[in-house]
Amino acid sequence: MHGFIIDKMEPLILLDNVTFRYPGEENTRDVLRGLSLEILPGDMVAVVGSNGSGKTTMLRLMNGLLVPQGGRVLVNGLDTSRKDQLMAIRRQVGLVFQHPEDQIVATTVDEDVAFGPENLGLSSAEIRARVDQALKAVGMEEHAQRSPHMLSGGQTQRLALAGVLAMRPQVVLFDEATTMLDPAGRLMAIREMLRLNQEGMTVVFITHHMEEAVMASRVVVLHEGKVAEDGSPAEVFTDAKRVGKYGLGLPRPARLAERFQEWLGVMTPRPLHPQEWLDRLPVYNGEMGEAAHSSVGSPRIVGDEALIEVRGLEHTYLVDTPLAHLALQDLNMTAMSGGTLGLLGRTGSGKSTLLQHLNGLLRPQKGSVRVGPHQLADLDVPTKTVAKMVGLVFQNPEMQFFEQYVGDEISYGPRQIGIEETLAERVRWAMELVGLDFEAFKDRLVFALSGGEKRKVALAATLALRPQVLLLDEPTAGLDPAAHLEVLGRLAGLQAEGMTTVLSSHRMNDLAALASRLAVFEHGTVIREGPVGEVFWDFKGLAEAGLEPPLVVRTASRLRERGWPIPKGIVTPDELADALRACSPGGAQ
Amino acid sequence: MNRFEFMRNIPIGQYLPVDSVLHRLDPRARLLAVVLVVMALTFAPGLWGLTLGLAAALVCLWLGKIPFKYALRALLAPLPFLLILAVLQVLWNAGPDDPPVLWSWGRLVLTPHDFRFGLALLLRFCGLILFLGIMSYTTSTTQMTQGLNGLLKPLRVLRIPVDDFVMMVQITLRFLPLLALSAERIAKAQAARGADWDSRPGSFFARIRQIVPMLVPLFMTSLHRAENLALAMDARAYGSGPRSTLAELKMQPRDWVCLIVAGLLAAGILFL
Repeated sequence: MHGFIIDKMEPLILLDNVTFRYPGEENTRDVLRGLSLEILPGDMVAVVGSNGSGKTTMLRLMNGLLVPQGGRVLVNGLDTSRKDQLMAIRRQVGLVFQHPEDQIVATTVDEDVAFGPENLGLSSAEIRARVDQALKAVGMEEHAQRSPHMLSGGQTQRLALAGVLAMRPQVVLFDEATTMLDPAGRLMAIREMLRLNQEGMTVVFITHHMEEAVMASRVVVLHEGKVAEDGSPAEVFTDAKRVGKYGLGLPRPARLAERFQEWLGVMTPRPLHPQEWLDRLPVYNGEMGEAAHSSVGSPRIVGDEALIEVRGLEHTYLVDTPLAHLALQDLNMTAMSGGTLGLLGRTGSGKSTLLQHLNGLLRPQKGSVRVGPHQLADLDVPTKTVAKMVGLVFQNPEMQFFEQYVGDEISYGPRQIGIEETLAERVRWAMELVGLDFEAFKDRLVFALSGGEKRKVALAATLALRPQVLLLDEPTAGLDPAAHLEVLGRLAGLQAEGMTTVLSSHRMNDLAALASRLAVFEHGTVIREGPVGEVFWDFKGLAEAGLEPPLVVRTASRLRERGWPIPKGIVTPDELADALRACSPGGAQ
Repeated sequence: MNRFEFMRNIPIGQYLPVDSVLHRLDPRARLLAVVLVVMALTFAPGLWGLTLGLAAALVCLWLGKIPFKYALRALLAPLPFLLILAVLQVLWNAGPDDPPVLWSWGRLVLTPHDFRFGLALLLRFCGLILFLGIMSYTTSTTQMTQGLNGLLKPLRVLRIPVDDFVMMVQITLRFLPLLALSAERIAKAQAARGADWDSRPGSFFARIRQIVPMLVPLFMTSLHRAENLALAMDARAYGSGPRSTLAELKMQPRDWVCLIVAGLLAAGILFL
């Protein structure tokens, strides 16, 4: 082969007309239906597609965890269906799973990283060297001796990556490895992938976030078990209609560019990265109006009764053990009736701990929590009474289902508290509220539902108690774009009916769409509370909490800098559209 | 106190990561030494031997840089029981009522011998608790598995799957805190929807009624987790051939010294 000129690079991974169906009688559907794809050495590939399009299955085929029924999968020419070549393949292809905490084997960080090399039967000295290098590569060398269950979400994710890197693979596959992270952690993870790629590693990652997909050099869209699109981000994300067919949307900057082209001019090619979009915004040369000096008055509903009041709250987990840690300190917060209070801040800043105080699961160790008429520091107030009034939908609620059938899961709450009407009526009411058909869904198995459906069941299960207040912990995390939009729509509907809501989210756009007031968390306390239009426009304050305002806010702010007479306090695309409409025509230069 | 912190009930995480002579010992030597001393304490007949054991425990705490307060706290919890036991022992021990009789009331006869018995019981249990404590303060779960692996290795000759056994122990240790966290999540999810977790049920059956509804979902999530873990282990080439280990255990002179000292100590405790 020496001196032979290859005009086409040999693929590192080749999927050739692959079909796959999971075993078992209940699986009547092919997940992959004649999928063909080549991954080339040095590629940085983002895989996108709606739930059930076959992304995870495809990744598991790539390192031989699954073997196709039809077609073949080759890794550097090695066939994954041959058992004797499997170990050679696993050495070359590393896989980081969706829930990093599930893939950690050992009880200290360095032992866990050593697990892969140990399986390869390497010498102790070689393993040590690889472990040290892998830990250094992900910036975890200080934590080598810690227990995995003491790590934060971001650290656990990096540990999982280090475990794979220590195998010295040629390709690393990431299966939605950033789902559990906050925006800053997410960005760090993507940067990590980019850096690996620059150092010569081939990277393939699955994501539901189009903003992340555009950071790859190649985007592969899966739809119904086949490759529907394959090209550079600019080639794939040309217009909303094209990706809409696959249940996807454009990345945020491109979406804004499309929405505002009437006023800001058509941008070709479409901006895909936030910075690019902001830099390309035009300068205003129309007439100056009055609006520039005003602020958008908050049109959002806020009641005048303080329904929930938290004063000086402190909470320490595992008091009096070596694992004790302070989660909340001197926290003050108020939620008004009928409004939506948004909680934002990085992971571990105390949002979930606070939510669990508001429905009486956790009781104040210090300070007070008042919910309606109940003082929760008083242990004589039964949790049941509070739970009836305040419903809490946990983060990843589908991991906490405890009944088999949808109907039973939803009726659990009403059965506990006892209701006047029949259970079926109550369940039907709750299901209709979230848009699940009673007859079609009541007898379905909870575990067999899609991600979006599960989330709706969880919501209905809480609504079935007819709470006055709804607490939502990351209600849209981990959903694909279509399901995300739907859940968001349902929440907006509940809000319109006057439900008081406290919503914790890492998605700034969700908060902008739903919240009337925001509370910013940092180090277990609220560092800023105010109307959404003020908090999101306090860029410095947000940065202190490791946050970035929604892109619409940054767009409006940049437009103001370029002379556009639009007011401060804009947080949604609709508000920006209204403001632009009010500017004199032909304002863009 | 939080009703849902099941993590409290898990007896791991006692390891104190400090650098000391004891921490640096080979885990195999440490395991073996503790086994020797514990056996000796269990069977020691005499007060002097037990006193020696207790003194040795205090020296070990000092050597291991373990705060006395920390170690003594572990003694406090069982102390009332030990005292009651000791008193019972003094009053009702079956030994011969040798003179001099100090005090008697009907069948209750107190002799110096009885007091020696009670004291021996106290010393014995305090020594045992301290030594087991020293073991868990100085040995991380990882070292524990390494030590087990090293000590059990010879059994491979008998075709006993030592590697798999040790891997099982390791994963169990890893999963315990996760199991506690899952249980916490499920209990909270049920309480949030009206299940009663407030009352501390007095009766055994009430407690069962509270726990049973958690078992099925707990099994489900654990199975799910185990399935994921198996996949992840597969993906990291588990089972591809003979495994090696990160930590290469090599007995240093100090480890042999430790074993010799432990042997002498055990002999002292038994025969003094």
